[in-house]
Amino acid sequence: MARTVLIVDDHAGFRRQAKRALEAEGYRVIGEAPSGAAGIEAAARLAPEVVLLDVHLPDASGFDIVSRLGSRAVVLISTRGGQEYAELIGSSGARGFVPKDQLCRATLEPLLGEA
Amino acid sequence: MMDQRGSIIGMNPAAERTFGIAEADARGREMAEVMVPPTLREAHRHGLARLLAGGEPQILDRRVEVTAQRADGTLVPVELTITRVENGGEPLFIGYLRDIGDRIETEEQLRRSRLQLLRATDEARRRLERDLHDGAQQRLVGLALTLRLARAQVDQDPAAAVELLDEASEDLASATEELRDLARGLHPAVLTDGGLGPALRGLIARLPLDVRVDGVPEDRLAIDVESTAYYVVAEALTNVARYAGTQRAQVAFAHADGRLAIEVRDHGRGGADLDGGTGLRGLEARVAVHEGSLSVTSLAGEGTTVRAEVPCAS
Repeated sequence: MARTVLIVDDHAGFRRQAKRALEAEGYRVIGEAPSGAAGIEAAARLAPEVVLLDVHLPDASGFDIVSRLGSRAVVLISTRGGQEYAELIGSSGARGFVPKDQLCRATLEPLLGEA
Repeated sequence: MMDQRGSIIGMNPAAERTFGIAEADARGREMAEVMVPPTLREAHRHGLARLLAGGEPQILDRRVEVTAQRADGTLVPVELTITRVENGGEPLFIGYLRDIGDRIETEEQLRRSRLQLLRATDEARRRLERDLHDGAQQRLVGLALTLRLARAQVDQDPAAAVELLDEASEDLASATEELRDLARGLHPAVLTDGGLGPALRGLIARLPLDVRVDGVPEDRLAIDVESTAYYVVAEALTNVARYAGTQRAQVAFAHADGRLAIEVRDHGRGGADLDGGTGLRGLEARVAVHEGSLSVTSLAGEGTTVRAEVPCAS
């Protein structure tokens, strides 16, 4: 069964390209949101398995939103590197972090574990 | 001049001016009452008593900075040296003082100006990081995803792969252009290579404005003077394009007597705010480093004029 995914990121171009890349690898992107508030609302409404959450949103920091997305696998993403954020990622409740340019099945699945 | 009882026995004209009191009115009165601020009087009297009782002279023959008081009650910072002389068995104290109000104000201005420059630099760095992140970096991320997809499709759907590669080429061209713009915004190479004339022509060509430029110096000036002049014009014209609601502007230079005068004027809506994200504070700080000046006249409805003067060794 294809994993369902919600993409929360304020760059429309990235959302489009990420959706295309993920669907080519067998994921099902069921929603997109451009802000923290919209992301929280979409997660509650669509109940995705996985949420890809940008660290830098216009209305919030990704780290603060993780806990408000419900019990689903949240993976933080960013154009900026992950090394500086290691501590924040660990304490946020997210499954992990993937740099946006490396977003693909091979980097996501290890964080998501059993389907 | 003060006697051992702490009374004023004489003042010179310069002291009369500094304290705003005539010698005739001051003579005979206790100096502490006339020239020492209320909060410091006891310390002064105590110090004098201690000295006369044979205590170690603590402030004699040294330059000290103290706050004195004028006849009208206002305070004046002074640099003071007190010397003791013997006058037929009685000690006399002569004070040499200098009003240092100007020096302190200049130091304060310098401190403020440095802080402003630091803030402007930090703000510019933050802006750069944001521009890189939102622009070029996002494009390169998109490029990475597109290329990976093209690679995956090469065998089973070559036509789709070709389309994706074309898309990737376009994204790459956009990313390169954005980086080029960013670099030019940081420091246009043509300014170093060709000077103000070519740099300004390039700047104006990229702005959606109709700009007349007069008096560009033909000779090259010191690199930091040219940079400052360029940034003043660039920032001012960017503000015109963004806020003035007009497409016409005039830029004028005048180079004489070791000073470069720059004026950028528009007849748009005016009302420019030095602190409102116009980059003008940063320019002010930069011009201040040259010991030049920047002024903005921007009455609502009457357009905006930015004037700067930068000293430059001809």
